[in-house]
Amino acid sequence: MKLKLTWLMTLFMAFVMQLSFAQEKTVTGTVTSATDGLPLPGVSVIVKGTSRGVQTDFDGNYSIKASTGETLVFSFVGMKTSEQKIGQGSTLDLAMAEDLAELETVVITGYAGATNSSKITSALATVDAESIEQVPISSVDQMLQGQAAGVNVSTGSGQPGQSATIIIRGRNSLNGDTEPLFIIDGVPVDQDNFRSLNQNDIATMSVLKDAAATAIYGNRGAGGVILITTKTGKKGSGVKVQYRSLFGVSEVPNPKFDVMNAQQFLTFQRDLLPGTTQYGDGLNDAEIAAIARQSNTNWADIFLRQGKTRSHEVSVTTGGENSSSFTSVNYFNQEGTTLGSELQRFSFRNNFNASSSDNKLNFSTTLTANYSVSDFVVDAVRGANTGGQLDNPFIVPYIGLPYLSPYNPDGSINIFGTGPRGEGGSGAYDANGNIDFNNVDGFQNTPFIALNTAALGTDQEAEIKIVGRIAADYNFAKNLTAGVSFGIDYTNEERLFINPPGSIRSFRTPTDASEFKGTQFESFYRDANFISNVFVRYDNNITEKLNLNAAVFAEYNYANTQIASLQAFGLNPALPTSGAGFTDGNTTEGDDADEYNYIPSVGSSESELALASVFATLDLDYDNRFGVSASIRNDATSRFIENRDGVFWSVSGRWNLDNESFMENVDWLSTLKLRASYGVVGNQGVGTRYQGLQTVISGSGYQLGNSYQLGTLIDPAIQWETSNQFNLGLSFGLWQNRLSGELDVYDNLTTDLFANKLLSAAGTGSTSVTTNVADMSNKGIDLQISYDLLRKSATNDWSITLNANGNYNKNEVESLPGEFTGNTLRIAEGYSANTWFDVRWAGVNPANGEPLYLDVDGNLTNVYDPNNRVYLDKNFDPTYTGGFGADISYKGFALNALFSFQADRWKRNSSLALIEDSSLGSNLNLSTTMLDAWTTPGQVTAIPALSFGGLRAQSGDRYLEDASFLRLRNISLSYNVDKKVLEQTGVFTGIRVFVQGTNLVTWTKFRGFDPEGTVASTFFEYPVARTFSLGFDLTF
Amino acid sequence: MKKYLGIITLSVATLFTSCSDQLDRFPVDSLVEETAYNTVEDLQFGLNGVIGSYSTNYIIGFNSIFTDNTQLGVDSGGQDRALHEQILNADTGGFSFGDAGVLWFNRYSVINDINRLFEAAATITPSDDDLDQYNNILAQNYAFRALAHYELLLYYGLDLTSDTALGVPYVDYVSEDATPARNTVGEVLIGVQNDLDQALSLFPAGTNDINFATPDFVTFLRARIALETGDNAGAIAAVNALIPNYPLANAAEYFDMFNEDASKTEVIFNYDNVQGADSGINFVWNFSGQGPKFEISNELFNAYSPDDIRRSVILDPVSDVAENVLVVGKYPINADTQAINDFKYMRISEAYLIRAEAYAKTTQFGLAAADVLAVQTARRGSPPPAISYGSLIEAIEGIIAERRLELAFEGHRYTDIKRVRSITGDGINRDISIDDCGGSIPCELPATSPKFILPLPTGELNGNPVIREQQAPGY
Repeated sequence: MKLKLTWLMTLFMAFVMQLSFAQEKTVTGTVTSATDGLPLPGVSVIVKGTSRGVQTDFDGNYSIKASTGETLVFSFVGMKTSEQKIGQGSTLDLAMAEDLAELETVVITGYAGATNSSKITSALATVDAESIEQVPISSVDQMLQGQAAGVNVSTGSGQPGQSATIIIRGRNSLNGDTEPLFIIDGVPVDQDNFRSLNQNDIATMSVLKDAAATAIYGNRGAGGVILITTKTGKKGSGVKVQYRSLFGVSEVPNPKFDVMNAQQFLTFQRDLLPGTTQYGDGLNDAEIAAIARQSNTNWADIFLRQGKTRSHEVSVTTGGENSSSFTSVNYFNQEGTTLGSELQRFSFRNNFNASSSDNKLNFSTTLTANYSVSDFVVDAVRGANTGGQLDNPFIVPYIGLPYLSPYNPDGSINIFGTGPRGEGGSGAYDANGNIDFNNVDGFQNTPFIALNTAALGTDQEAEIKIVGRIAADYNFAKNLTAGVSFGIDYTNEERLFINPPGSIRSFRTPTDASEFKGTQFESFYRDANFISNVFVRYDNNITEKLNLNAAVFAEYNYANTQIASLQAFGLNPALPTSGAGFTDGNTTEGDDADEYNYIPSVGSSESELALASVFATLDLDYDNRFGVSASIRNDATSRFIENRDGVFWSVSGRWNLDNESFMENVDWLSTLKLRASYGVVGNQGVGTRYQGLQTVISGSGYQLGNSYQLGTLIDPAIQWETSNQFNLGLSFGLWQNRLSGELDVYDNLTTDLFANKLLSAAGTGSTSVTTNVADMSNKGIDLQISYDLLRKSATNDWSITLNANGNYNKNEVESLPGEFTGNTLRIAEGYSANTWFDVRWAGVNPANGEPLYLDVDGNLTNVYDPNNRVYLDKNFDPTYTGGFGADISYKGFALNALFSFQADRWKRNSSLALIEDSSLGSNLNLSTTMLDAWTTPGQVTAIPALSFGGLRAQSGDRYLEDASFLRLRNISLSYNVDKKVLEQTGVFTGIRVFVQGTNLVTWTKFRGFDPEGTVASTFFEYPVARTFSLGFDLTF
Repeated sequence: MKKYLGIITLSVATLFTSCSDQLDRFPVDSLVEETAYNTVEDLQFGLNGVIGSYSTNYIIGFNSIFTDNTQLGVDSGGQDRALHEQILNADTGGFSFGDAGVLWFNRYSVINDINRLFEAAATITPSDDDLDQYNNILAQNYAFRALAHYELLLYYGLDLTSDTALGVPYVDYVSEDATPARNTVGEVLIGVQNDLDQALSLFPAGTNDINFATPDFVTFLRARIALETGDNAGAIAAVNALIPNYPLANAAEYFDMFNEDASKTEVIFNYDNVQGADSGINFVWNFSGQGPKFEISNELFNAYSPDDIRRSVILDPVSDVAENVLVVGKYPINADTQAINDFKYMRISEAYLIRAEAYAKTTQFGLAAADVLAVQTARRGSPPPAISYGSLIEAIEGIIAERRLELAFEGHRYTDIKRVRSITGDGINRDISIDDCGGSIPCELPATSPKFILPLPTGELNGNPVIREQQAPGY
């Protein structure tokens, strides 16, 4: 865009001025950067008032024919444009100064590409490469945490490559898609899968937050849009080769709970826990001490490990006269913090740009091809898991019995368990030393089941991911440019899941009685998203002050998803993973040889989604002081039948006060811009891809006969959700933009919200039909601020920049049929979405140890009654989010720190509730807090008398905890080797070494491993890791 | 300039129209309702869907876990504990085996499927060859609609013995937005009886597959209805019509009936669970490997005499009586090890006990005692002692005690206590002296408790403002 404008300006001048001079001579010179003295390639040198112009070469040299008395105009992105009058000499060197106002202000917006920020009328935030590169977080969406105001990023699992959940400016949908549309280099991509992509390829991420920016994305833009732009070479920059490396170790954060050790637990069973048949009941102190000496296992030590991260990358950037390219290859390997969790990927990228010599034709390709292999553990958020699976490694540090030894007599890790329960074993073996099939998968054997699955099981996904686009535009007539582009996002996933014969989980697979054991499941998933786009743009300076830029577009998106799967039973251990080892499906067993135990199952499925759109944009600029932008888009989607076409639009305006004449003398104010926008954006991400059709499901029914049954009841008039968004913004920069920032207030109202219209089950057979019935608002403030405490200059080696961003969001469900949905976590009219509604726990009665509650009126009661549930004014979604940090550099050293926070956020700690449930104390370890259970009248304690049994079902809000957190998201200390030293090597043009800590410290009241997560009721999720890393970047 | 605009407009228009053809996308994995049903075979598929989704576990689970037939199992991890604690409100609807209010939602969902199947059937004219199958599908549809409405009435109706009391909505239509009020008990019963009449008129001659509705299914259901509604003469007459056709199983047959599904001697309606389409009844109480979430209550177990075959049937072999681990074994894991067991929905022994109760309520104590003794005789190794009842309460207590033994874990305990509590004055009593209750597990639910009528689930109240005013008392 910048280039195009420069070029247009040149053309413009050429027509206006038709003068020529005699006495031409050749002027030569070198252009360098005033900051570091390095030559600047690609600087545009134009003889003012003429069409004569050249660019500097790789070494900053130029040569141009001009006459004495003429003026040369030197311009370059990020530098102050400079005019130099030609004197008598024929040499004119120039050291160009950085334009600090200009430097930070080229931003990427939707279909217009890079735009000078002074012309922006919308609310957006930009995150650039420096804060993304070389951070050992293996999913790029996670990178946004704490980086941009109004962008709430949470991650549900510490599995390497886990995609984050992003909510921009508050939850804007109840049952539909809440996440933003992700677009990488013009190609919409799967918003939940970034594990195969190399984040070091990214140049910038732009977060589009208001309708002015997102309405152009029509019925996919309501949740905001994140534009990812990858790196390109700069024309005329020569060849640059970079090798980068990173090594790291990850570990889980320190848990904020304690479980009993062997001595505590056995004594607790004997002395405190009611019942007489627990293992501890039959032991005296000496025996307990002996057992505790023998094995006192902290299961966290066994399951959690330091995972290694390794990354190697080579990138080549080229920039010739008319073309440039960026190429990278990356190998990345990250181990999770528990055995069997890993991501390996191999990423390749090539971006290529070319222009004709007259700059009329531009052509670009971006292509990334990636292969990754993910190994999974039994992760609480994976598939249909609930967290309560006994082979979930993160349940074991809570409930694993401490008196069990993890080791075999020979010192190796025991992956089956120990002898009968009554003798202090885990129940895996009977008294004769044979596997006890009835107890080997029981609660007491939990740690061994988890070790067994980790050691023997396979759960792997291999993925090929390709994102690519070809685009061309041609300036075919005066002021008119036409362009066309094609893009694809292709994902191929192959999943392999094996329960091998001999593993604990194979004992009942396919059946208890089958001779051959084990199962292998494979699935093939292919998702291809295509986009094609054509446009025509008209750009003209209608008068000297008025610029008009208008464009019309047509676009077609098509998505096709195919899934196939197979599951076989009875594996031959000698032929792992091969179909040759599957037991034939016709094999029969049993006394009458009539039991089919090995019938394999297969599946196949396909779905499609198509979207055809036409849209247009209009941008008017008057004298760089006023601007008006408008967009309109018609989207027709295959998802809806009766209401197929939706129209989305926005209008926005700005007033650049800093460019007003009356502000000219206000020196301390460098930038001041007022923005306002209003628009209507849609969200078609509701329901299934066939939400408009009443389906009948074919399956198997009674006696395994084929069956037809009504699919989920639908409303044929279903349509997109509509988000009406108003934004008022202020962009400011004070004292040469030392202090700069953006302040935005917004008021969004989502109508036609996809929610359950409640039905009478008696009357209709369904309790609800999901359709466009609810309204919800999000009102809030975004503040993004940056302050240069110290700026580097000729006399000062220090640079210190402080930055902060924050969002306050007030979400309210404005109307909802039936006023609320949900039980204790509710979507309720007049409250924030996901608000808690429960009986208030009031502690323990010191007189008798009974649990106390508050009734509806706030009076104490000792009766648990669900009718005493009240709205607790606590919501799951945070009210405040943001981040802050500092970038400090001194000579070659740089210290960069980023903190992120979420506040006013409440989660149910069901993990802790489990280890404070005394009814489980005969089978599972419990929290040390249980040692404080009430025993004596007058005793003040948080734990009721154990005689009341397990109270988990009657705990009310007892385990509702403040999950606010402040996290040191990333801190790095790096050193750039001095240029002079580099020159002496003759090889390197840059060497950077760094040490880094990611998620180093988290401050929270939440009593678990990790307050973050994406589920409202935590239940043994895989915590996000802390990672220490070091690495180096070598540039040749 | 104008030329360009023309070209642009034209090309955009072309692109757009060509795209709109691309927007009609249909699913490949499912059918669209308008075009799904074309043949009688398609209707059979629909019926398979109807019966296949007729869930039995809710009734089986609720009647045992909510009552005095179970105690907390040694392997309990807290599953369904709230139900055992008799926590019951509009949000739980009485069941924790699924979403709130599952019985209500399941039965009305099935009724909706049935009514849609009637609509689909109306569009199909069967050939002569298909006529019997077509009629049978309709007959099955009527019979299951009657059964579903009766069960709803049994659990949610306010008083089955009063025709004017509020019952449940009787639904014989398809609607996307109906909000029916409760019909009176009388109205529902008329609908049910009409459906049963329709079924009888449509059954092809010789319909006798016990895995489906049959004329005897209809008679049996009428016996149950008659007993619940106080039509003792009707109950006796219905049972009299059945008994000659079905012998009581002897001890061996009884054992086989609940092991490997090897005998169907006295079964009138058998809900047929097969591999791949199995409701997994065993897992209401047990984890796989028979680790018990809930065990047989000590009181129930102690009530069986040692020579009673039923004692061997309900107690799973993995039990450890010495250690007081009493695992429910009525739906055992079997040789296939997958615990696939049919649900014997209607058995002739229940018919004997229905008649006994009807006799007792009409003060024919001798006949009542004879029916009870007939059942006991069939079950015990040695002849049981003679029975005689001196009073109504004595007779009813004796009959209900026998029903408890005979029909344990078959979905009757709660409704039995409910039906006779006005006579016995008893609610649900668990025995604390033998550790069947205590702590947060209540020992007594009074006979007057509102919990003997299930609350209308919140999901229904929310979507149906008409019925919201008709919530059962006490909720």
